[in-house]
Amino acid sequence: MKYFSLIRANLGRNKLRTALTAGAIMLAVALVCMLLTMPAGMDAMLASMTSNTRISVHNKAGLVYSMPYAFTRKVRQVDGVAAAMSMTWFGGAFEEDGRVTFPNFAVEPEHVGEVYPDYKLDPQQLADFQRYRDGAMVGRQTMKKYGWKIGDRITLRSTVWPVSLDLRIVAEIPNDRSGILWFPREYLDQALQAEGRPGLGIAGMMWVRADDPNRVNAIMRTIDDLSRNSEAETASETEKSFFSSFFGSLQGLVTIVLIVTGLVTLCIIFIAANTASMAVRERSGELAVLKAIGFTRWVIFGMLLTEAALLSTVAGLLGVGLTLGLTAVLRLVASGSEALGPLGSFIVTAPVIVQGTFLSLFVGMLAGLVPSWGAARKPVVQTLHEVF
Amino acid sequence: MTLPLSYSLRNITARKARSLMTAGVIALVVVACSLFLGLISSLRKTLVSSGDPRNLVVMRKGSDNDGSSQLSLEAFQAVKYFDGIARDAQDQPLASPELVVQPFFHTLQGGRENVLVRGVEPVALQVHGDVRIAEGRMLNPSSAEAVVGKGVMGRYRGATLGSELEFGHGRWKVVGILESGGSSFESEVWVDVRELANDAKRPFPYSGIRLRTANGADMAALARRINDDPRFALEAQPETAYYSKQAESANALYVLVIGIAVLAGIGAGFGAANTMYAAVQARTAEIGTLRAIGFSRGSILWSFQVEAVALAVVGFGLGAVLALLLARLIGLLIGGIAFGARTFTTNVITLHVTPSDLATALVLAIVIGFAGGFGPAWRAARMRPIEALRKA
Repeated sequence: MKYFSLIRANLGRNKLRTALTAGAIMLAVALVCMLLTMPAGMDAMLASMTSNTRISVHNKAGLVYSMPYAFTRKVRQVDGVAAAMSMTWFGGAFEEDGRVTFPNFAVEPEHVGEVYPDYKLDPQQLADFQRYRDGAMVGRQTMKKYGWKIGDRITLRSTVWPVSLDLRIVAEIPNDRSGILWFPREYLDQALQAEGRPGLGIAGMMWVRADDPNRVNAIMRTIDDLSRNSEAETASETEKSFFSSFFGSLQGLVTIVLIVTGLVTLCIIFIAANTASMAVRERSGELAVLKAIGFTRWVIFGMLLTEAALLSTVAGLLGVGLTLGLTAVLRLVASGSEALGPLGSFIVTAPVIVQGTFLSLFVGMLAGLVPSWGAARKPVVQTLHEVF
Repeated sequence: MTLPLSYSLRNITARKARSLMTAGVIALVVVACSLFLGLISSLRKTLVSSGDPRNLVVMRKGSDNDGSSQLSLEAFQAVKYFDGIARDAQDQPLASPELVVQPFFHTLQGGRENVLVRGVEPVALQVHGDVRIAEGRMLNPSSAEAVVGKGVMGRYRGATLGSELEFGHGRWKVVGILESGGSSFESEVWVDVRELANDAKRPFPYSGIRLRTANGADMAALARRINDDPRFALEAQPETAYYSKQAESANALYVLVIGIAVLAGIGAGFGAANTMYAAVQARTAEIGTLRAIGFSRGSILWSFQVEAVALAVVGFGLGAVLALLLARLIGLLIGGIAFGARTFTTNVITLHVTPSDLATALVLAIVIGFAGGFGPAWRAARMRPIEALRKA
């Protein structure tokens, strides 16, 4: 630590260069952090919204295939099933827009509380959701996006069924990452019958909660056996596996993002290494003098390395701070514009902050390694010879 | 009097390691930006190039895509004989009734994706002018045969010529491969429309109709007539408009790439400035001499600016080569890149870094070089010759 003031003085020697290097590293670290929020955001979403006791049951052939509604009753009788709820895609969009901007489904309000005990739903709101025929339960992300409050009324026109539904928002799912909207399936069923249609005889899919995580596999097998050789054979899987494969189609994009992240990291190393080598070259005479008066090569090596690492770590921390600021701005911008919506989903998680900080430390040390070692190892006589 | 160009260029080679390092930083920024730009332009090209400007898409009112639309046989029979629809040699209207379903397909790696399966009649090949059978043959009507798009080919279990593809409730024999010049049809599987309706147990036989308007006919008038028909609640729109609406999903990606380019560009600019400042410092005596023998401030400024930009262009060159290689490598290693669209279908795109992506990256590199070089060049130009010589 006694060398700290020397290290600091050395960093202050060429202020412009230090500032430029720090600026470059800061921007690059911010970039890496932003890019990492994409895969990290997906992981966080999986972790915060899935439960190890919930099972997704859907038609084996695909999500656009359905199953008979009557099957839900059979599933509820399976041993170990605590609760089950059907969920049917409504594909509702605003009349003036015509595009589905958030997922919305017809569900069974009486089973919501049982299937999602981990959602921390407000009991009063849940009771309202069960009471109102036209009630809607909306995820907080969508509530915020449109500035909705409990009690607001909205109209959604289905892109799948030939009906429009007037809904009253009575409950919120208190999770910032939830963008879903639920309303009672009864309501859709009656609306279809009013149109002269046979009503909603199907369930798009089903969510089942097991009473014991250890029985999940057995329950999944039993449910799939129940539907075997029927018109609609089912495939059951855990909630986590369902959402992972749902995001699976983004894998290609994530790969590219990770490659670019790697490239930007390399960039930081180059920039930091360049600065370190310039510093060492300019100071070679001085370093030789230090060695001549008795500083060991390890002390010199350590000092140069610390200098590089300190510079890049401080810059890295600034970069992390910049990321936090940038994502906040992006969220603001994205909340105002539909087309930019996905940009609002950059959420900086704790692991990203830690990764960014350690990345800059690691990169600084790596970049300082070669020049510092070169300077420390050079024989004193040779260096002094070069200088004088 | 200006300094010769070779003076600037030779200075770059004077400090090889440092120049290479700076050029390397710019090269990496170029690679990152061209890869992302290539990805977006490939995605847009896939979506925007889909659709024929002469074609109309007819769907149920309120549907936003093929997959959620439903259409009755009566609606098709009526629309088919509307005026303004092109006819083939046998005087049959070029109206293709289609059913779209998105079943699970299982990738060779064990993942699953929603693939767009289009039920068609033989007329489809005439209506979709850019789609052709590249290998094998078109499927026979009323048979469990399938033709698969080039992007689908080899990506999923059973998706090869001659083998059996399993999706929905049945098995389908692959008899041909579709090609459409890179548009989204290459991410589809085509089967017989009635077979598909049976398999998917759809209450309505079709999801939409694709129409070819006759030469000289008024497309807008035909669309209006379809929209206004009181018997069926239908909506017609140009096929190109339908696909470009789907391409809007790429807009958010554009903002992302611009953000990356700006952040990385500024960072690389800082790096370049560092190198150039060091170069100016090391050459103080030289600059003093040049000034003393009569070179003007402007020519010194210009010469350093040229050096910085040349460095950036070298970086661009390295980066461009690297980006093209990487794009090729990604293509070889992970094949097509799948994009899940909002419409529950997967578009498989091939990553291509196009000349226009590289041109954008070149502009970025030049801007980096120019901005990064300006400060140091300014400092060099403002040096007073006497002091500079004295320092030496």
